[in-house]
Amino acid sequence: MRIWVTGIGIVSPLGRSATVTMDRLLAGDRAFGPIRLFRVPDARVDIAAEIPGLSPVGVAPPGEEAGWSRTDTMAVLAAREALAEAGLSGSGRTVDLVTGGTTAGMFETEDLLAQLARDPRAMAPLEQMLSHPLSATGDRLASAAGPFRRIRTLCSACSSGANAVVLAAAWLRSGASSCVLAGAADGLCRLTFAGFGALAALDPEACRPFDRRRHGLNLGEGAAYLVLETEAHARARGASPLVELYGYAVGAEAHHITHPEADGRTAARVMAAALRRAGLAPADLGYVNAHGTATPLNDAMEAAALRLCLGDATERVPVSSTKGAIGHTLGAAGAIEAAITALVIRRQMLPPTRGLEEIDPECNLNHVLEARPARVRAALSSSFGFGGADTVLILGEPEVFAPSLDERRLSVVLTGGATVGPLGVLGSGPSADYLGAAPPLEKGGPIAFDAAQHLEIARARRLDRSGRLVTAAIQAALREARVTVSAEQAPQMGALVGSSFGSVDASTAFMCRVYEKGAKFASPADFPNLVPSSPVGHASIYLGLRGIVFAMSDLGASAEAAITTAAELVCAGEADLVAAGSVEEASAVVERIFGPLCSQIVDRGERGEGAAIVVVEPEALARRRGAPIAARLTAATSFRGAGDGTELRSLPPPTPRSLVVSGREEPRLAALLAASSWATVPRAVAAPRSGDHEGAGGFALVAALGALAAGTHDQVLCVGLAPDRVYVLLLEADAPPTSPRAAG
Amino acid sequence: MDPTEIRLKLKETMIAELNLEGKTPESIDDEAPLFGEGLGLDSLDALQLAMSIEEQFGVRIPEGDEARPIFRSVQSIVEHIVKVKASAA
Repeated sequence: MRIWVTGIGIVSPLGRSATVTMDRLLAGDRAFGPIRLFRVPDARVDIAAEIPGLSPVGVAPPGEEAGWSRTDTMAVLAAREALAEAGLSGSGRTVDLVTGGTTAGMFETEDLLAQLARDPRAMAPLEQMLSHPLSATGDRLASAAGPFRRIRTLCSACSSGANAVVLAAAWLRSGASSCVLAGAADGLCRLTFAGFGALAALDPEACRPFDRRRHGLNLGEGAAYLVLETEAHARARGASPLVELYGYAVGAEAHHITHPEADGRTAARVMAAALRRAGLAPADLGYVNAHGTATPLNDAMEAAALRLCLGDATERVPVSSTKGAIGHTLGAAGAIEAAITALVIRRQMLPPTRGLEEIDPECNLNHVLEARPARVRAALSSSFGFGGADTVLILGEPEVFAPSLDERRLSVVLTGGATVGPLGVLGSGPSADYLGAAPPLEKGGPIAFDAAQHLEIARARRLDRSGRLVTAAIQAALREARVTVSAEQAPQMGALVGSSFGSVDASTAFMCRVYEKGAKFASPADFPNLVPSSPVGHASIYLGLRGIVFAMSDLGASAEAAITTAAELVCAGEADLVAAGSVEEASAVVERIFGPLCSQIVDRGERGEGAAIVVVEPEALARRRGAPIAARLTAATSFRGAGDGTELRSLPPPTPRSLVVSGREEPRLAALLAASSWATVPRAVAAPRSGDHEGAGGFALVAALGALAAGTHDQVLCVGLAPDRVYVLLLEADAPPTSPRAAG
Repeated sequence: MDPTEIRLKLKETMIAELNLEGKTPESIDDEAPLFGEGLGLDSLDALQLAMSIEEQFGVRIPEGDEARPIFRSVQSIVEHIVKVKASAA
């Protein structure tokens, strides 16, 4: 099959459209200047690539501007441009959305959070807090550029935007979608600015990717979205392709939270895998858009990886980094660079690496120093994120090469699960107690968890609480699934971990230090733990998982979002195994502000915490390795809004031993099920025993595996509800026990 | 503050700031290398340690190659702190 890109939108520091951005990149313009947006006390660097004059007025629905972040505004502008070019604006056609990022509304809320930390009684303007969750951008896109049927928000730090394209491609390959808007947005904020400063990763002057004198990166901001659709869908509606997605690959280095592998081994492996999937040889590439951050370590690693992958073609394939013009746009970079790569193919013009004058012998490649025309039939774009999350995309002229991507729809099973909660670190069997056998909790708050009992503490010293809870949960779930992580299989093993709000308390503490003591006392060791993908990144490093690794955010249904997405990736054959679930930390700020305001978890006493993980595999592989099949996942659907009842109509009818589980007691659950044959099926909720928090749905799912194993139930419908979103997963026992009649 | 007090406070700072759980000041060898083998620290720890030393002792650790001999061991850091403090007094 073929996947076509039919629309592209970019909002960058060089301009508010793909055309202007590309014109100025080719003209050699650079967007760096003194930061006007904020001042960080004692910062040694004062430049960045800012989008001037950005305002939600005229972009947000009237009256909602105060709850919009700059990230939201740039996302909506870029998404509208892409949809308009594809001829999809207001078309009424079904479009799904994948959006990535790291900062969301951090700029709008970091001041308020610091005020709250100093004085917990301070009254913050709550409307602005609405923009804080990573998933807020998807909500704004839905209201101002949508509607979208299905929305997912992911984060793999600086490869988020590229992974959004990967998830979109998986949906198209498995038939889950015909048309997807995929991309990412990230606005500048004090936190990332102080954090990269603390890591000594910022150049006080305009940056110099691949240069001998390179000193670090400059931060930028922006957004880009691409419309991806199947060739069949595009043809049926008369849309023509801009470029074709020929291949892609994802891999985790499992090496270090901030340092890339010096030899570029994993990056080279991922590049080669993407080329192989595209059916192309290195010599077919007419251009490489490098990650090229201008940090000493990244550029040396990337050049080594490109030389390993390109081999003899290294001298001929032109390479440039556009970060020398627009800076590092972090979570948006992968999407912006995929869009630029597409425009290079469209225009047959190569943008230069600005700032590169003296090529570092360590970074020897065929660098583009000045814009020039070139024959580009196919091009590669690399993205690398904190924790070693590497993603490579290969785009090319439509229909120039043979169709490379295969349609695939594998059946999916769950082979293990584990929870780390008030009852301890438990496998799925004993986790079933969270649905009723255990006494309800008298109070929430932090759980008792002795990391030293479950993890090698010397190796886990960089993991914060979320990282430790989720690593222990993944480890226990893998053990239950009888998985040993071998060097051979690790590249096909991934992890997806959801969290509603990320490390709110740690981010607040980090910013309080910066406000009180100045930028030079920002903690370099704490900063990498503030990116939403840090817990899953640390787990990947600790456990050696080297496949697809990213974080997800979807308010009170983050576990359901992660597990559903894992199933979609496994269904499309993107991994042989994915550990998926959620982690939530006890947090006063979430309990008092974000819960009541955003996920509508309110007035239920002290917020709890914990991690819950299931292991998702293709059925055929699980059977081949003789794994215990805890459940077959026979239906998984998700949608926005309340649903109209039709979504549940395709479910098989319940059996006498069916059960409906959910994380929390929700009045909307009854309304949702009312129109289906599942209305009268017994229900159980996890929150009274697992603790009331946004990840309670993960506990319900793991407990469901336990209930199936115990034989008390043969079918469990797991429903995840959060404001405006619904997830439905149907788990069925592998071999339903034969009924007495049939046995007789 | 004499070198013995500086040494103890430095080790306590290291344990807290670098999350060296399970370590005690007595268990950290004054002369053992901090990076690579020995305590097994890396350059991210070096950044954190430099920031913490400036915060706790008011002594700046120079950047780049100049930091290398200072960060050789606990003893070499103590000597640097003592020297800077003496020249400031």
